[in-house]
Amino acid sequence: MTIELNFTINEKKITLKTEPNRRLLDILRQELNLTGTKEGCAIGECGACTVVMNGKAVNSCLVLAPQINGAEILTVEGLEKDQRLHFLQENFLKHGAVQCGFCTPGMLMSAYALLSKNPNPTEAEVKEAIAGNLCRCTGYKQIIDAILETEGDIK
Amino acid sequence: MIPKIEYFSPVNLTELLKLLDRHQQAAKIIAGGTDIIAGFHQGSARFKGIKYLIDLNWIDELKKVELSSDGIVIGSAASFSEILKNELINHHFPLLSTAASRVGSVQIRNRATIGGNFVNNAPCADSVPALLVYDAEIRIRSVEAERAVSLADFLLKPYQTQLRSDEVVTQIRLPFLSENYLGDFYKLGRRRGVAISRITLAVLMKLVESKIDDIRIASGAVTPIGKRFVSLEQFARGKTVSDHLYRELARMLGNEILDATGLRWSSAYKLPVVQQTFYQQLQHIYQTGNLR
Ligand SMILES: Cc1cc2nc3c(=O)[nH]c(=O)nc-3n(C[C@H](O)[C@H](O)[C@H](O)COP(=O)(O)OP(=O)(O)OC[C@H]3O[C@@H](n4cnc5c(N)ncnc54)[C@H](O)[C@@H]3O)c2cc1C
Ligand code: FES
Ligand code: FES
Repeated sequence: MTIELNFTINEKKITLKTEPNRRLLDILRQELNLTGTKEGCAIGECGACTVVMNGKAVNSCLVLAPQINGAEILTVEGLEKDQRLHFLQENFLKHGAVQCGFCTPGMLMSAYALLSKNPNPTEAEVKEAIAGNLCRCTGYKQIIDAILETEGDIK
Repeated sequence: MIPKIEYFSPVNLTELLKLLDRHQQAAKIIAGGTDIIAGFHQGSARFKGIKYLIDLNWIDELKKVELSSDGIVIGSAASFSEILKNELINHHFPLLSTAASRVGSVQIRNRATIGGNFVNNAPCADSVPALLVYDAEIRIRSVEAERAVSLADFLLKPYQTQLRSDEVVTQIRLPFLSENYLGDFYKLGRRRGVAISRITLAVLMKLVESKIDDIRIASGAVTPIGKRFVSLEQFARGKTVSDHLYRELARMLGNEILDATGLRWSSAYKLPVVQQTFYQQLQHIYQTGNLR
């Protein structure tokens, strides 16, 4: 069975044909070459594959491709504008919140989803927002600090 | 790997029910997919032999949360995030909000649905103890008929429910409580964030002049399936609250759980924890008078 998908990715409209047994993660990495989004566990536990779908953080490893029809999706590649990093990304660098970097795209997208709904989160709210994102390197403190510094209108 | 499947996206119940009727066991409903897609990846036996996936996400009426004359009606495909931010649920059924807040992570709650949570009847389904103490009734549809059944009756054995292959759960109905119920929901996992429940307990209690007018106690995770403790509830009704009574109830709860599970390697650890937790919940409910 081949299906047609119509959706928006990083503000670009996309139409493509695919099989229904693929995941959003596969569409991103294999069809669209957006390899910023990472695959860690493939079962929803690590958050490395997090993207923002219709304004909400989701694990792209648990979204079936046909479920993205009509959706607006933002990936880590969509954060920078005109070759300039988003200031959420700047703050990650400033605070040393990136070590091996494998968790970073997912962390950024969870943080982005939080900040776009709640521009001035408390530390507890930040922790809640990234509880589904594992980082084996930083110890989280730097990541939390980076997110806390990025308050205000993030768009 | 997700097997080769055909995918359907019905936009109303009539279409959905026809598809279920036509494909029966070869078809599986998909809602949030958090269980089914992870299950495919892990080669879970529960999801073998599926040829068709039928998606509930395009049927708006299954996502609504509404008031009815005697309670609220939650669409089976409402996500835990939607439940968490719903004022009606928060106000009238706060233990369900608390339970929803403890499910997985933000990413999981944004996709995972309440119907999908109990349809698999996994013992660790966090919504179940909360729904049980609220006397949840569920509505089930097939091409031929609609039926209503209490959640307690719907859940049969671990990973087994009354659901037939041509049926879909459409609604969860929670009847309003009379005034003055106090309650508490407790979840213990291996760690605080994103953890599979080892122990869950939900308690609702109504006191009239220091006497227990009504009490409802339900477990998840620590028993093979989520369940109410009916005989314990009966024993407690009409009694005057006291520290002694709380200790007695906690001891009895331990025995009932042991009856339900049999002695397990984890009993020596879990039972005292459950008993102590339950005792503290009762104390806490009495002392704070908070409906939580
Ligand atoms: C990382 C991770 C963490 C998790 N943490 C928790 C947790 O803390 N607490 C917890 O309780 N659960 C947890 N879960 C389990 C899971 O997210 C929930 O059980 C979820 O509610 C399932 O709903 P769904 O919509 O995603 O189900 P799906 O995967 O779409 O479906 C699950 C099953 O239910 C059936 N189904 C779904 N809806 C209906 C319906 N309306 N009528 C008939 N059949 C239906 C499907 O056919 C399928 O068999 C976690 C899962 C993951 C991956
Ligand atoms: S790869 Fe999706 S959560 Fe780990
Ligand atoms: S920086 Fe290495 S996992 Fe987070």
